[in-house]
Amino acid sequence: MSKKVLLVDDSSTTLMMEEMILKQRTSYECVMAKDGLDAISRAVVEAPDLVLMDVVMPRLNGFEACKRMRLEDSLRDTPIILVTTRGEEEYVEAGFQSGCNDYITKPINSFELVTLLQSYLGE
Amino acid sequence: MSTSSNLSETESSPRMQDIGDRARIFAARMRLQSALDQADALDGIREIAGNLIGTEEIAVFKVDTKRAKLWLYWSFGVDPNKHSVLDVTREPRLKQVLAGKPMFQSRLSNENLLSCDDPVSALVPILVDGTVVAVLVLFRLFSHKSELQSVDQEICEVLSNCAGRAIEPYHAR
Repeated sequence: MSKKVLLVDDSSTTLMMEEMILKQRTSYECVMAKDGLDAISRAVVEAPDLVLMDVVMPRLNGFEACKRMRLEDSLRDTPIILVTTRGEEEYVEAGFQSGCNDYITKPINSFELVTLLQSYLGE
Repeated sequence: MSTSSNLSETESSPRMQDIGDRARIFAARMRLQSALDQADALDGIREIAGNLIGTEEIAVFKVDTKRAKLWLYWSFGVDPNKHSVLDVTREPRLKQVLAGKPMFQSRLSNENLLSCDDPVSALVPILVDGTVVAVLVLFRLFSHKSELQSVDQEICEVLSNCAGRAIEPYHAR
């Protein structure tokens, strides 16, 4: 059974690119959400094996969504990787404090993305 | 960040990078071609610049009928008061851009592409029916990105050819 990845971004361009890369290079199933609130409800229903989530989004940002996901029993141990536009130390620290497992910076490098996801999910 | 690799030899870095590059170019093209209207096309430019190229400081300047000045049409992440107009006579590189040739900042050069304080990474002509109707200026890149790569230049080419709807919605359809 293939692993399921929840892709979260308000940018349809980013979702399309992430899905294309993962479909071509992995056997993961991709489900999508367009903001933090949508992500939480999709995550509860879909029970993904990993969440790849943007930080800057309308309605609920990635940090807050990550915190709220950690309050859900079913999502407490789900790996969450945040996608940021910044690699600065304080920004990364805020991400880890929200409960994320890892982060990756935009623009996404496909090799880095697949390698990172495989380190959590295997192939 | 975790970097342990489980990739097989056939999924080596250059091949994977090629897949990623093609995905980025395809996503950029699809985003612009599926734009619902002018505002959505401008939002598409912002999305592509931020998510696929690596800058959140952009501006679009529309070419006037005499092709002597470029007036700020839309911007994101820059002070519009600082960049309200570009004078072609004072910006020699703009002549090449108005001829349809994009310009990219070289890491080896200390000279800015425009005579302004903000660092300019690229000047991209936006074409409608083969005519340059506007110039997209990409300013400062994200701090972790040192310069534009060849795939970024290809994405700029997509912007050049497909972003016309953001400027001239009727003709671009």
